[in-house]
Amino acid sequence: MSSDIISYPLISYPGPADYAALLPAFVVALAPLPILFVDLFARGNATARRAVAVGIAIVCLLAAGWLEYLQYPHDYSAFGGAFIQGGFSIVFSEIVIIATIATLMLSLGVGRTDQVAGTTSLVLWSATGAMLMAGASNLMTVFLGLELLSLALYCLCAISARQTAREAALKYLILSSVASGFLLYGSALLFGATGSVAFAALAIAPVTPLLALGAGLFLVGLAFKLSLVPFHVWTPDVYEGAPLPVTAFMSVVTKAGTLAVLARFAYAALPAERASALLVPLWVIVALSMLVGNLGALAQTDMKRLLAYSGIAQVGYIVAAFAGQTAYGLRYALLYLAGYTFMNLGAFAVVALMSKDGDAVVGIGRFAGLAHRRPWLAAAMTFFLIGLAGLPPTIGFTGKILILAADVGAGYAWLAGVLILGTAISAYVYFKIVRAMFVRVDLAHVRDERSTNVLPWIAVGVCAAATFVLGIVPLTPSNVLPLVK
Amino acid sequence: MIVTALVLGPILIGLLLYLLPARAQNVAKPVAAAVGGLAFVSAALNPGAPDAMLRWLSRPFTASFHFGFGPISYWIVLLLALTTFSAALAIGGSRSRDIAAQLLVLQGAMSGVFLAKDVLLFALFWDLMLIPVYLVMLQTSTHPRAAWKYLIYNLVGGLALLLATAGFGMVTGTTDVIGAHLPGTIGTAWGLWIFSGFAFAFLVKTPVFPFHTWMPDTYAELPAPMVALVSAVQSKAGLYGFLVIALPFLAPEMLQARTLVFTLGLIALVYGALAALAERDAKRVVAYSSLSHLGLIVLAVFSGSTLAFTGAVVYIVAHGLFSAALFLTLGAVEQREETRELGRLGGLGRRNPKLAGALMLGALAALGLPGLAGFSGEILILTGLFEAGFVWPALIALFAVILASAYFLRLFQGIMNGPEVPDLPERCDMNWLEGLAIAPLVAGFVLLGVNPGPVVAFAAHAARLTPPAALTSTTSSAAEKTRVVGYH
Repeated sequence: MSSDIISYPLISYPGPADYAALLPAFVVALAPLPILFVDLFARGNATARRAVAVGIAIVCLLAAGWLEYLQYPHDYSAFGGAFIQGGFSIVFSEIVIIATIATLMLSLGVGRTDQVAGTTSLVLWSATGAMLMAGASNLMTVFLGLELLSLALYCLCAISARQTAREAALKYLILSSVASGFLLYGSALLFGATGSVAFAALAIAPVTPLLALGAGLFLVGLAFKLSLVPFHVWTPDVYEGAPLPVTAFMSVVTKAGTLAVLARFAYAALPAERASALLVPLWVIVALSMLVGNLGALAQTDMKRLLAYSGIAQVGYIVAAFAGQTAYGLRYALLYLAGYTFMNLGAFAVVALMSKDGDAVVGIGRFAGLAHRRPWLAAAMTFFLIGLAGLPPTIGFTGKILILAADVGAGYAWLAGVLILGTAISAYVYFKIVRAMFVRVDLAHVRDERSTNVLPWIAVGVCAAATFVLGIVPLTPSNVLPLVK
Repeated sequence: MIVTALVLGPILIGLLLYLLPARAQNVAKPVAAAVGGLAFVSAALNPGAPDAMLRWLSRPFTASFHFGFGPISYWIVLLLALTTFSAALAIGGSRSRDIAAQLLVLQGAMSGVFLAKDVLLFALFWDLMLIPVYLVMLQTSTHPRAAWKYLIYNLVGGLALLLATAGFGMVTGTTDVIGAHLPGTIGTAWGLWIFSGFAFAFLVKTPVFPFHTWMPDTYAELPAPMVALVSAVQSKAGLYGFLVIALPFLAPEMLQARTLVFTLGLIALVYGALAALAERDAKRVVAYSSLSHLGLIVLAVFSGSTLAFTGAVVYIVAHGLFSAALFLTLGAVEQREETRELGRLGGLGRRNPKLAGALMLGALAALGLPGLAGFSGEILILTGLFEAGFVWPALIALFAVILASAYFLRLFQGIMNGPEVPDLPERCDMNWLEGLAIAPLVAGFVLLGVNPGPVVAFAAHAARLTPPAALTSTTSSAAEKTRVVGYH
């Protein structure tokens, strides 16, 4: 055992290239410093104060996105393999960056002015955590990224005048901590079984009961964070209670970060010949998520809760693409994740545009007759819902057919069948909203609130364009493998 | 170029109609009619238009944005354009702009289904067809359940198609196969699964008993122009799918399923006829008659007889022409009398001779009067069934065809003959616009009835490319050798 530890040294001497790999994450992590500093002096004009905070954040995020792009597609194993910057992590990081920019656009009018610099900083730190998770390839980095992501989110959930926000934050804190506990315990067992925290070392270790148990607990922790059934019960409550931009952020960024870890773990950290057997419980969980998520969404009347349940199912579709650990399955999972990001954020942006402060409780009833009151908004929402339901001409359609093909090709046709079944159920969920928008109603009885913040319109436009274009030109990153070095 | 324009043009113009200012909304109707007319003329003048192709996917199987005319699809696209022209002229009411826009989107989507040379592209437009019909139903229907029924049935069918397409692509390595000289079949353990997915989608869309329950509701609730298009062309999408996807690539599986599908088709034939005989709602009478007629085409497609195959293609076009004419005429009646109940209508024929003439012509074509298009198709199909040895199915089909005379005469009598019902609103005969809408359809089924030669020639060409006879022998060993199989 001791010789194993020696053969995987934990300490190496990082050089400039190692720091360059982390540079985009540093840019995002350090952006709060100027934001908080400038905020000290911009006490007067409330609008300017908000605009400056969000503006600096978006500029830094764009810079980070550009830096990520510059490093594409070269793989570099930084810090002795603790963080691998390559096609895989860059695509995930770009998704995180896009989602964070959209979140900040939605958040411009939300909350108290004196808290804006703080909430913007927390969003950026949370995004940093997700970016670390995108490249994390040992157990320590995974935990570091996950906790950075989560700790900032606990605070973000709690910052709201609403009573439900505190309940949501507490629920999230407790259940997320339990999940982290599982993850940490699993990591400890994996370390115990192999003598190393590196994913690369796990992949070549013999499968012992201890390793299987550790892998199982690790996966349970990830399933908690991804809110896969049966570890999903916290999600609707937390989504409902949290401020709308935070919900939008959680629905994409948390999932993107955790999916990156899950993909790397499933593809690269498990011994290749035994991975199929070890991951069987995961496919069962995924199948359950696709069904239960959509069934749960059927009964919802609050948009945030509905999107929470629909997100459970959508993540199920993405993870289903990992079945059989095929290279193209991973690429289609990434493609569908990007599509889900745009469709889901688009839907959240529409919801944000339907309340005055961008953060009110929006029930399905509020969509009544929307097509006759605000046709553009209704058209955009219809497009996003069509995409989430897997109909053309959207990435929802193209991404789904590719995932189906990946599952069938990998010999997991049953999972493809469950995916189809879940999609059939989801049609009722999404078209319930479409129906509410288009049916003729007496408009005098409908509350027609409009947001004062126009930035979500940009998010709606970009998301709709991306949903369409990705559906026609399904670009997938070609160099997502290998995931460890 | 022309084929791409036939698909994308109507969709784009339809969406642009939504940008019309409130004052200019009455432009929508002539625009829609012009698009339909233009599509008809450009397709009619360019039967040899080259294919348009753009690579879409290269992994895990190849797929392309590949549009082009095929021997069967050419006639269906002509039918589609003509029906769009007629349907657009019949648009009326307060929501005319929305209906015109969605009519064009539907036209484009259906052009996509029939012009697609790629199974995945076919599936894409297949799903896209759902949306305009659903949106129109939401806005015009008084029964919200009808829209749900339409959506759920057809979406589940579409999902089965999607899964089957994924399987098809993974097995053959490409979905760009429609109309290609690929004399093979799937021929693996997957074949039956893939066929089941396709067949379910096709049978729901056609529809065939027991998946038909969405159809009478949808046809009754949709406004007349939309239902003309749906009944004339959309209901042919499934049959077309059997002809160009199942027959060339999944013939052994079709043969395995033949008894089952024959049974369902025969039930649809007889049940549709009987239901049409008992139905009181004029639109539902025609809806059930469609169920019956389409059941006949399903028999023809699965019979394996070249003659019946030719008849199926002729009857697909013929049924499109006369069912569109019937629904538009009934729409004109409903617009005047504000009811479709046969019990409440009556005696319109005396004051509305033109309307009565149009309904009579449509009904005669539908019941298979020699000299009109319905007859050409039916006689070819029935002869083909006899020839292929399906005596009993042919006799049962003949019985249902005779019933057609009964229910169409009942329909005509209920609306046009008998004593005038006193409390109906003011009557005026068909105006020139309504006449212009129905005239091309009538001309179409008269011409096709007198000389079905051109359609028969195209169908015979199609039959040479993919011999329906593949269905008659279980051992197609020659085809086995050349088939494209294996995972990619």
